[in-house]
Amino acid sequence: MTSQPLFILLCSGEHEKIQMAAMMASVGAVSDRAVHVFVSMNALAAFEKDLPPDKRYRGGAFSRLLVEKGAPDAMQLFEQGRMLGDLKMYVCSMALDITGWSEDRLVDGLFDEALGLTKFLSDAESGQFVTL
Amino acid sequence: MAQRTKIDARGAFCPGPLMELIAGLKLIEVGDEIEVWSSDKGSAKDIPEWVAKVGHEMVGVENCEGYDSIVIRKAK
Repeated sequence: MTSQPLFILLCSGEHEKIQMAAMMASVGAVSDRAVHVFVSMNALAAFEKDLPPDKRYRGGAFSRLLVEKGAPDAMQLFEQGRMLGDLKMYVCSMALDITGWSEDRLVDGLFDEALGLTKFLSDAESGQFVTL
Repeated sequence: MAQRTKIDARGAFCPGPLMELIAGLKLIEVGDEIEVWSSDKGSAKDIPEWVAKVGHEMVGVENCEGYDSIVIRKAK
């Protein structure tokens, strides 16, 4: 049976939500399910390349625990999802326009392309949609 | 004769043990087995669920002292 694709709209800059997005994306993608992640708003800053975890992630008490206990790093989970499964990652073109960032500023090899919300929403009509 | 590879993922948090298993499956032949040791409390249920979904075979789950031993056979 083919599963419905999963579409994750990631807007929050909170570490806890980025971690959950990365867990859902990686596990979904390795479970014979197409997963599409759209990164926008405050989430964008966490995807800047060459940042150590203590600079990359901002969050609450659970964020500190994730780092202290050595939970899998969200960026590595996204990478594993791409390497081992069917995971596509898009950066919001509006977020790039507003910040003035180019795609070169983002973690290498993590994103397929910059995309507009209209296209993402249109693609998502065929699947299950989660917002974080 | 089936080969069995052991992956010691004790200390790794979800979904680390599953990801290590999936990476390991890519390196073995169909019919061979992987034994994952995981201290993550979800693995004993999560890994059999994943195995059933993607079409591999469960050999067994054993509760050991402080971890679970989960054995999978590569079916495809």
